[in-house]
Amino acid sequence: MCENSRNRQWNGGMNKIKVEEAIGTRLAHDITEVRPGEYKGASFRKGHKVEETDVCRLMRLGKRHLYVLDLNADQVHEDDAVVELASALAGPGVTFSGSPEEGKLQLRAAYTGLLKINVQALEDFNMIPDVMCASMHNNVPVTKGQIVAGTRAIPLVIQRSVLDQAVDLAREKAPIFSIKAYHRKKIRLIITGNEVYEGLIEDRFEAIVKEKLSAFGATLEETVILPDDVEVIADTVRRFAANDTDMIITTGGMSVDPDDVTRHGIRQAGADSLYYGAAVLPGAMFQIAYMGDLPIAGIPACGLHHKTTVFDLVLPRLLAGERLDDRDLAHFAVGGMCLECPVCRYPACSMGKAR
Amino acid sequence: MEDFETLLEGSAKAHGHLCAGQVVGVRMAMLGCDLIGLDNPSQLPQIKKLIVYVEIDRCATDAISYVTGVKLGRRSLKFVDNGIMAATFVNLESGIAYRIVSTESSRERIHEYAPEITDPRQQQVAAYKRMPDNVLFDIMPVQVDVPVHDMPGPTRFKVRCESCGIMVRDKKEVLLNGKVLCQSCAYGPYYQQLEANVQQKIA
Repeated sequence: MCENSRNRQWNGGMNKIKVEEAIGTRLAHDITEVRPGEYKGASFRKGHKVEETDVCRLMRLGKRHLYVLDLNADQVHEDDAVVELASALAGPGVTFSGSPEEGKLQLRAAYTGLLKINVQALEDFNMIPDVMCASMHNNVPVTKGQIVAGTRAIPLVIQRSVLDQAVDLAREKAPIFSIKAYHRKKIRLIITGNEVYEGLIEDRFEAIVKEKLSAFGATLEETVILPDDVEVIADTVRRFAANDTDMIITTGGMSVDPDDVTRHGIRQAGADSLYYGAAVLPGAMFQIAYMGDLPIAGIPACGLHHKTTVFDLVLPRLLAGERLDDRDLAHFAVGGMCLECPVCRYPACSMGKAR
Repeated sequence: MEDFETLLEGSAKAHGHLCAGQVVGVRMAMLGCDLIGLDNPSQLPQIKKLIVYVEIDRCATDAISYVTGVKLGRRSLKFVDNGIMAATFVNLESGIAYRIVSTESSRERIHEYAPEITDPRQQQVAAYKRMPDNVLFDIMPVQVDVPVHDMPGPTRFKVRCESCGIMVRDKKEVLLNGKVLCQSCAYGPYYQQLEANVQQKIA
């Protein structure tokens, strides 16, 4: 092993030595190689024993000096630190790679569901120096294996006390990240409107609702088309509620015309709470009601004419078992306006991304 | 690593019989280890560097386990229930991984490689021994990001099921309708519990 103590410089638990003098030593960190448009990743991994044949390649990568680990008891290497951070951050349904790369770990969904983030705790976590974690938005649907967040210790070597502070905070506020599996699967649909009931126009809602449900593994068990009649709507809601239903969806009859009576029928059926109006465009006339734990979601007519509406924002949360109220519907306000882009990229846009 | 014939003999003995699956499994394991740079996978220190994902629970799987030393209990053998005669060999240290698939076309070329043998089973065994790797297998370099909860080593994660109280390890729990549940409580068990009076009869 070539060593020359005169050329070594101490730097927070590491010695800096010249590349040509590093043969036989072990790398203190991954060495990243970037070939534009071709490859970006670790070309040498932490712990790699530097061979004579590596020297030229390291120099080609622009390396003239390397760090060699020389940690004291109060210092933790970034790769070890990030495993502790990720373990504390990852709650139910969230996992991460067993092999940190370049001091980073990506948190991934262990199964398909709704991403839940303790936003305040995550912000507090990021107030601790030398650690960070960035994530997707809260309350978004994710699929198994999808990256939901990334975390790292910022310096190559972190103080044990700082790391412990971050880990303790994440454990105290746990879970900071979790995935709620979808459990409402059996959905029944009530389509209201005299014009559809009497065959004057053809219904298009059923196909739209069916497609949106299938994306989350839920199925439409039954669809009925009803006239704008309070009693008939109420009777059907009661029948559905008594018939192994996880959620009822209604379409139409949510506006201000005298014939728009759907929500009156829902109330008459025995809904114990009903919230009408959401801070979302399109979707201001959305309604969510409950009979016990059974949600009844009322989609206004905008669901026919717009690809993305309030229904897309609430559906995954309802299927994941969340009980939404007027505060939740108001909370959509920031980011609740569809920008009506020429090509809709939802969910990869600001729509519904309130924190 | 021992030579092919010695490994095949040992594998057949451990499995219970010599069959075409043993030949395929032993060859697949030897090739897989070679591709990822391990020449003595069942011994320290290499035993800690290897994870094998098998995609079928048939004869070849036992042969792969025998040759490589990977075991379910060590968490070095992973079963992905795909029903495909394939295995992926992962070197945890270097990150190099290869997926090897037993080709369907090899089954149709048995006569070509063992024309002198008339017994179909013996012909299959002999042919699979003689076929070159590129006839017997499809081989592809892959990347496998082994999640932390699937890594060998001590249990890192455990949580109690909020329904039945059983301890769930290795992040196999589900957050469902506001509760952290074991798979059985979340989605139903793979078994049916017997009534108490039936249990007594069996006891």
